[in-house]
Amino acid sequence: MATHPVVFTTKTRYVLPSQKFMIPVEWRRYQLSQLINKALSLADPIPFDFLVHGEILRTSLAQWTAEKGVGEEETLEIEYFESVLPPQRLSSLPHEDWVSSVSCSISQHFLTASYDGHVRLFDHSQNCIRDVPAHLAPVTSVALVSGPNTNDQSYIVASASHDLTARLTKISLADDAARPSQPLATLHLHTSPLTSITADSTGSTLLTASWDGNIGVWDTTIPTEDDLVPESGDRKKRRKTGGNDRPKNKAPATVLKSHTARVSKALFALNSGRYAHSCGFDSTVRHWDVEVGVCTNTITVPERPMLDLSLTNDGNMLLAASTDRTVSIFDLRGSELSSTIGTLMHPATPSCLVCPHTSTAPQVMVGSYDGVARLWDLRSMRSAIASFRVWDGMKILDVDWAGDMLCVGGEGGVDIWRISQGERISATAQT
Amino acid sequence: MSDDEGGGDDDQDADTDHEAEDFPGIDTGSDSEVGSEESEEDEEDEVSEEEEEDESEEDEDPSEEGDSGSDSAIHIFPRVKSTISNITGRPKRVYPEIEPDYESDSSIEDDPNRIGNIPLHWYDDLPHIGYDINGKRILRPAKGDELDKFLETMEDPASWTSAFDKNTQMNKPLTAEELEIIHRLQLGENPDAAYDPYEPTVEWFTGKGKEEIMPLSAAPEPKRRWLPSKWEKQKIMKIVRAIRQGRIVGSKPKTAQNTPQFYAIWNEPASNQPPPLPAPKLPPPTHAESYNPPEEYLPTEAERKEWENAEPEDRERDFIPQKYAALRLVPGYEQFIKDRFSRQLDLYLAPRVQRKKLNIDPNSLLPKLPSPSSLRPFPTYQSLKVIHPGSRVRCVSVSPDGAWVVSGDETGVVYLWEVIVGREVKRWVLDSKIGAIEWCPRTDVSYFVVSVEDKLLFIVPPNLPSAILSSTQNALTPAPLPPPTTSPIKWASTSRVEDDIMLTITLPAISGLSKQITWHRRGDYLASVCAYLLLSLVLCLVYRPPSPASNESQVWIHQVSRRHSQAPFKKIKGTIQLVLFHPIKPHFFVATQQYVRLYDLMQQKLIKTLMPGIKWISSMDIHPSGDHVIVGGYDRKLCWFDLELSEKPYKILRYHSRAIRSLHFHPTYPLFASSSDDGSIQVFHSRVYNDLTTDPLIVPLKILRGHDVNDGLGVLQVKWANKQPWLVSAGADGKVVVWCSSS
Repeated sequence: MATHPVVFTTKTRYVLPSQKFMIPVEWRRYQLSQLINKALSLADPIPFDFLVHGEILRTSLAQWTAEKGVGEEETLEIEYFESVLPPQRLSSLPHEDWVSSVSCSISQHFLTASYDGHVRLFDHSQNCIRDVPAHLAPVTSVALVSGPNTNDQSYIVASASHDLTARLTKISLADDAARPSQPLATLHLHTSPLTSITADSTGSTLLTASWDGNIGVWDTTIPTEDDLVPESGDRKKRRKTGGNDRPKNKAPATVLKSHTARVSKALFALNSGRYAHSCGFDSTVRHWDVEVGVCTNTITVPERPMLDLSLTNDGNMLLAASTDRTVSIFDLRGSELSSTIGTLMHPATPSCLVCPHTSTAPQVMVGSYDGVARLWDLRSMRSAIASFRVWDGMKILDVDWAGDMLCVGGEGGVDIWRISQGERISATAQT
Repeated sequence: MSDDEGGGDDDQDADTDHEAEDFPGIDTGSDSEVGSEESEEDEEDEVSEEEEEDESEEDEDPSEEGDSGSDSAIHIFPRVKSTISNITGRPKRVYPEIEPDYESDSSIEDDPNRIGNIPLHWYDDLPHIGYDINGKRILRPAKGDELDKFLETMEDPASWTSAFDKNTQMNKPLTAEELEIIHRLQLGENPDAAYDPYEPTVEWFTGKGKEEIMPLSAAPEPKRRWLPSKWEKQKIMKIVRAIRQGRIVGSKPKTAQNTPQFYAIWNEPASNQPPPLPAPKLPPPTHAESYNPPEEYLPTEAERKEWENAEPEDRERDFIPQKYAALRLVPGYEQFIKDRFSRQLDLYLAPRVQRKKLNIDPNSLLPKLPSPSSLRPFPTYQSLKVIHPGSRVRCVSVSPDGAWVVSGDETGVVYLWEVIVGREVKRWVLDSKIGAIEWCPRTDVSYFVVSVEDKLLFIVPPNLPSAILSSTQNALTPAPLPPPTTSPIKWASTSRVEDDIMLTITLPAISGLSKQITWHRRGDYLASVCAYLLLSLVLCLVYRPPSPASNESQVWIHQVSRRHSQAPFKKIKGTIQLVLFHPIKPHFFVATQQYVRLYDLMQQKLIKTLMPGIKWISSMDIHPSGDHVIVGGYDRKLCWFDLELSEKPYKILRYHSRAIRSLHFHPTYPLFASSSDDGSIQVFHSRVYNDLTTDPLIVPLKILRGHDVNDGLGVLQVKWANKQPWLVSAGADGKVVVWCSSS
């Protein structure tokens, strides 16, 4: 039996002594994982995945070497890490209407936005502790702006809606709060329904994207006076909310105009309040200098209207889901932005993306219209490393991921799943 | 060598022959005779031989004379000498002079034996063989025994050229002339050496200067040469009478018996029939058929068993290769008769038809179409679906910005939903079945028209920006209402603003449900086609006096800005199925069951009639360029018309297996789609060129399946989303499906 010289390395705590192994070339992941388990004589077997030259090993070693043209004499350095275990459903948060957006940004809580116009806050024991009727029209996106405020444990939440406005709402978590929720401001710019609202990491700037092709940039300071003269159409709403507490009208700081069709997502670059990325139905991904208000770069991918955009946790890769059932990957490291460096093919329309911000592995969770969420590792673009059916035949509209909790929102409400990634994630999270 | 000299030689030869002739030759025939009589006459023979020897010596002279005489007698043909004539200057034959003496007669001087023409065997018992001219006996010449004969043939070189002479009972050498004659006869030539078969023609009466100019006879020409013959006339008259009396029938067709039965087979021109086919050839034998094949051709035991167990028809070959060390060890072939028989059967029963094999690559017959993958994007997969529970979705429409879809079903529910999420944002529950739904194509206003019962409802979607909302309100309910027009159609602004129904057009009650609404491109005019139930028509005729013609019109053209409706046709032949506005020109298409008529609305006249050849037209759409029309029918046909080209279809596509329900051109992409009752949607690439010489390119791209067939109804309407290659289809199974393109 032909063998191949192999050296194992790892960044986990399960470290093998540095030694060259002669591995039979017919071996696959399973045998390699068994080998490491036996070599470490672990009490509970831990499944491992293996990275060879930065790619996850999916075939036998012989096939891999034949594919890459690696000689038999060459010593392979294989890095191993713990496999992603199949996620487990923890609970579900029932909603009467479709959930368009979820957020796990508030620790121990889930923020959801629904098509009935409400923004709801759930705690971990599935209790709906706040139900804010933020809009009269469907809410399409919700984001945490800032918080918690140390005084009254309140958070400021931004929501974007079909009623052409976005809103800033203050939600207080204190049990004895006089007003559990208070609308702060309405953001008036767009002439078409909004698709997304995101805040930067400091919570000082907001980005809204809309069907009219514009991106609004807003600061989060609450004005004392209306920036805009209230229009006659808003009179009713104002009367409903009543008197002094009514939200103030707010105008955008800047408007970013370059997209020729609907903008489906706009978000800030990692740890930056200055640069932003956006994608739209005009099959482009654009990069913005928000302070100057100009589009610095445009990547055009023909015939790929994009639905969602996400940054990997290291900020180097940009992922965009499009209606042609692909997720395109863009590399931001080069000075000249080129086209895609890869695509992830899906059997149904991928509608939403999230990258785990606590993991160092380049992973992305993709929710799609067939009700299946798929976890991809960008080191192996052939197939998803884990996929699980959240609902049968019901669309997933948004996913969010914090720690080991995955929050999936869509046609069937909200589902909470646990993804245990093993020790490494928690280790990196601690450091 | 001249003949005279030859003659001299002959004489000398005869002399020498005679001298050498010590032992007379023995004739084989005489030998046998001798043999038969030997037992009786042995002793006598010996005695007679001795006597004969004596006598032969005595008769030497006469025999010598006879030799020379026989020489000349043997010359049947006189010796010819050819010389040049002194007179004519031509070669001529000179025959030797004949001396007219007694000896010149060869018939009498020849033979020394004068017994005449009697059989010689009468003398077999006698010591002599005849008598000479003087009456003396001619003694039998001495005859040697077999050894002598043999020695003679060995020693005498001329013995093989000698022959037995019966008259003299001895061998005589043949002369050179005789040998030459024999030689010539052997070669098959004329025995005469001098005979020239190719001698030149002697022209006696022809040629130059030898023409006959004088008559051969001086007798006067007889009278019968110029007088008509009386006897002939009688014979002719006899035939004429017979013909007149009908005893002889003229121009009687020749029967097979009296026509000649022979054919100039080689002179016939080549017939059109193909030559008789050669029998099919047997394949040449291979190694396996050899009596001593290589080892690898020999079957293993398993193969042999398999061969034996198989049916004869199933066997790959009808024999088993066998190995023999030598050809002589090969036994008789058992199957020989059977093989011959089957071969004969093959030859006899094989159809002798020459198949004309055309060497055409079948792929070359296919039209050269670009591959669908090069014509992306087009919808390929089902992205999402919206379900109308429990009813057929009849109609669907996509907003001009391509973001919203309205779909109406048969229970009267209208859904408004986002095209890419599929979430129902608002629903309207109307009174009864929805006939048609159409968005207004204007972009500065936003509303759509729904036909329910005999009403057209103008509905405004929610969440409009205030600018568009106000302009929509202005368009539908202008502040100073335009002056009311004399029309049986009532326009009413409804107060139910919370229902978003801003305007209602009420058509005459008998017209029934409007089954089609179509907008002009500018968004000011819309045309509606009423179902115009036959029952209601009958009721109207029976119970009411005929109403004004305008009330009965099937087609109404409504102008939103003037709030006015009019019937463009007072009377039209046939039931109108569909109408369509030309996108550029003021033209109006009207499709009846079988024809599509194109009217000019400005001049109010018929421009042309398109004849699709469809029994019942179900759907129609016009290309955004305005030059091409597609028409679909319930009989599965889809016709493409080039309006510049002809009134007949440019192309007829029959790809659906059931009736075509709906057609739609994409407003911007070169695509169109057709939906059918077979539950499938077909997407075509349709590129139209600006130059008039290039034909439009129609490429079938994709068949989209996903709708279920419900009660024989499949996909009832397809509409393209504006700006994106996405297709929205409404099916009888209650589903509205969005099809997206994929890479």
